[in-house]
Amino acid sequence: MNKDLNMKVNVLPVLTYGFLKVNDSTVSESDIKIDSVTTPDASKMPKGIDVKRGVDFIEAGEIFIKNKDRIMYTTGDFAGPNADTSGRNENQAIRTGMGIDVDELMISAGAKCDVYTVEENVKVSEPVIIEYKMKDGEGSISSQVIHAKKGSEISVILAYESEKEFGGFHGISTRLLAEEDAKINLYKIQMLGDKFIHFDDIGGACFKGGSINISSLELGAKKTWTGCLVNLAEKEAELTMDMGYLVRYDNFLDVNYIADQRGKNTNSVMHAKGVLMDSATKVFRGTIDFKNGSSGSAGDEQEDTLMLSPDVINRSMPVILCQEEDVDGRHGATIGQLGEDLLFYMQTRGIDEEEAKRMMIRARLDSVARTIPDKELEQRVIFYIQNII
Amino acid sequence: MSDNKQKVVEIDRSAYEFKDIETEKDFYRMEEGLDEETVLKVSAEKNDPEWMRDFRLKCLKIYNEMEMPKWGPSIEGLDMDRITSYVRHKSEMKNSWEDVPEDIKNTFERLGIPQAERESLAGVGAQYDSELVYHNVKDEVAAQGVIYTDLESAMKTEYADMIKSHFMTLIPPTDHKFAALHGAVWSGGSFVYVPKGVKVDIPLQSYFRLNAAGAGQFEHTLIIVDEGADLHFIEGCSAPKYNVANLHAGAVELFVAKNARLRYSTIENWSKNMYNLNTKRAIIEENGVMEWVSGSFGSHTGYLYPMTILKGDHSQMEFTGITFAGKGQNLDTGAKVVHQGVGTTSVINSKSISKDGGIGTYRSSVVIQSSAKKAKASVSCDSLMVDSISRADTIPGMDIRTDDADVGHEAKIGRISDDAIFYLMSRGISEEDAKAMIVSGFANPVSKELPLEYAVEMNNLIKLEMSGH
Repeated sequence: MNKDLNMKVNVLPVLTYGFLKVNDSTVSESDIKIDSVTTPDASKMPKGIDVKRGVDFIEAGEIFIKNKDRIMYTTGDFAGPNADTSGRNENQAIRTGMGIDVDELMISAGAKCDVYTVEENVKVSEPVIIEYKMKDGEGSISSQVIHAKKGSEISVILAYESEKEFGGFHGISTRLLAEEDAKINLYKIQMLGDKFIHFDDIGGACFKGGSINISSLELGAKKTWTGCLVNLAEKEAELTMDMGYLVRYDNFLDVNYIADQRGKNTNSVMHAKGVLMDSATKVFRGTIDFKNGSSGSAGDEQEDTLMLSPDVINRSMPVILCQEEDVDGRHGATIGQLGEDLLFYMQTRGIDEEEAKRMMIRARLDSVARTIPDKELEQRVIFYIQNII
Repeated sequence: MSDNKQKVVEIDRSAYEFKDIETEKDFYRMEEGLDEETVLKVSAEKNDPEWMRDFRLKCLKIYNEMEMPKWGPSIEGLDMDRITSYVRHKSEMKNSWEDVPEDIKNTFERLGIPQAERESLAGVGAQYDSELVYHNVKDEVAAQGVIYTDLESAMKTEYADMIKSHFMTLIPPTDHKFAALHGAVWSGGSFVYVPKGVKVDIPLQSYFRLNAAGAGQFEHTLIIVDEGADLHFIEGCSAPKYNVANLHAGAVELFVAKNARLRYSTIENWSKNMYNLNTKRAIIEENGVMEWVSGSFGSHTGYLYPMTILKGDHSQMEFTGITFAGKGQNLDTGAKVVHQGVGTTSVINSKSISKDGGIGTYRSSVVIQSSAKKAKASVSCDSLMVDSISRADTIPGMDIRTDDADVGHEAKIGRISDDAIFYLMSRGISEEDAKAMIVSGFANPVSKELPLEYAVEMNNLIKLEMSGH
């Protein structure tokens, strides 16, 4: 099947100045070949997980529709922020970072969804590992639902890779539900070839005491769009998003992360660190949204961007929306090149500038890579990072 | 600690929303609505030179073609067909205080202008509705060669070419719909020229007021600070309350030459039915310094983001602002900066307080172009939520296009700390005083940048708002 893509994705939760070109992003690609609409077989599937393969995309979303009132719970009826765009995605089964256009593509292309369910109080210590080994010119879209029932735990690693010089299309949608005191750990590693078009969309919700932890590494591909929206729907729900990226050549990375904090005493941590080289472009949108009723909650968003070429473009939108008095929200961003003091220190230790740069790149990416709970894959990723820098 | 929660009630702001008991018989009012005929009438009334008349018509065309902004607070309540674009008091320009009509004098006295005069502050240009009615530049300032006059008169003097070459070049009518509206119907405002090397020791002050129902105010401020010169300009605004939505779409264009410095301070306290869609922009040449001090307290809806273009190498900008959004207010404020020159630096420090259902939004942009090697930008914005029915949103944007830049950004949203209140109360300070102290401390970075009388007014306003008395 071949498709023309014209999707408006990664819409900022509140619109701002048009000249900044961050309000949304357009995926406009013609004649995209889609060979596969299913998730590959897991290379590791530990016991204790119920897997339903090839479920219809809409049907797989029913678990979220059934719980919509809990997920979207809010107190009071107060005005939203200025130029609020959240209504755009309200017809999604669960709102995602990239938005409804991804759902529409999944549905129109007939994407099949794999549903991974962990029963109550079952803690699966070993990760599920799903690896996409993409061939040159290949196109794939796929979808997963990960459902952790009360008190359970599951870890899933999704790795996408190809030879460096390969091109093609890879799109993925992952939807998450962590019930009371359940925990979902999701790792996404993108090591696609330099001519790939790639998107990765995540939507999720946590009930009371539930937590979602997402680590992602974006290391390849010509153009990448990634979005993640998690509803911390009930009290003491937690979200951590830890992202590392390396964007080279004239490649493009566009990110939209949103923590939607609704329950009391919820906590979100959003860290993005990475490196821009050559004439790369990166857009990072990170939003902490304290909804009314989220008293006692905290949100922390940090961005650290190392720019290693005079021709790179870095756009950042660290947004905090707040409709609750008793919250603690903060964000910080550090953007620039290596400090002269640091370089001088390195040189006094016999480390030249190029090596110092390589060390700093590795420091940013390895810290995310080392969280991967599979030794073999972790080493492969670290080796991949060493190779490309 | 719930007993320690803030109890803030809406205060009687009548002290800030006075309107003299006077009839509107003295006012000349044009028919409401905006079309070519209206614009030509404004132009004729002003005795515009031909280029300005043509410019107004061009702006009207752009205004009619442009869309409303898609971002920011809603301005649906603003019905342009009901805005009288131009209201002019019958009194003419006055050179001395004695000749100013008594009713206007009363209004000015309540604004504190005579006191400012007594204190030997610089020349006062006060705008009553859309017309400059009183203008006086102290001899000592004029003797230094400083030109401080109304823009319309200046257009007919030897400064005509200077004005023509600067007017709406920084804020072109294509910038946004309300810039185009401003270009079509602007009236009144100040022109300041500080010659090379002149340092104006005393601040120049200007007060603007809107007084008639449905009246828009479109004053234009044009300030040129020549090489090595130094100026502090203070703008303060307040307006009485009416039922019809009022619009303020002024424009401020500031040109700061090589090695010059300009500080532009504003306390805006429009009444709560005002739509304040003001545009302010400065361009800074080599080694020039621009300092903005901005306090936004009034208005129903505000869009206010002073913008600085750091064009010259090693030029600098500092923005210090505070916004207090109370009941019924939606104040969307912040700052914009564009770094073009080598070694340019910018510092943005913003504070906002939201209470009683008010919406306070900090919105900014920091753009570092590829030419701005070794540029440094630092942004800090803090928001204080006083209750759970208000909003405090932070929407900063950064576009960095050189690796050779150093950009830092930090923001915090939080409430008045229970621990801080407890600490102060354990030292014998009442809860109410403790809260007022904490908020005053929060606002301190702004108030300390203001001249004494403005800082006192701002602190009183914060104290009143916080105490509920």
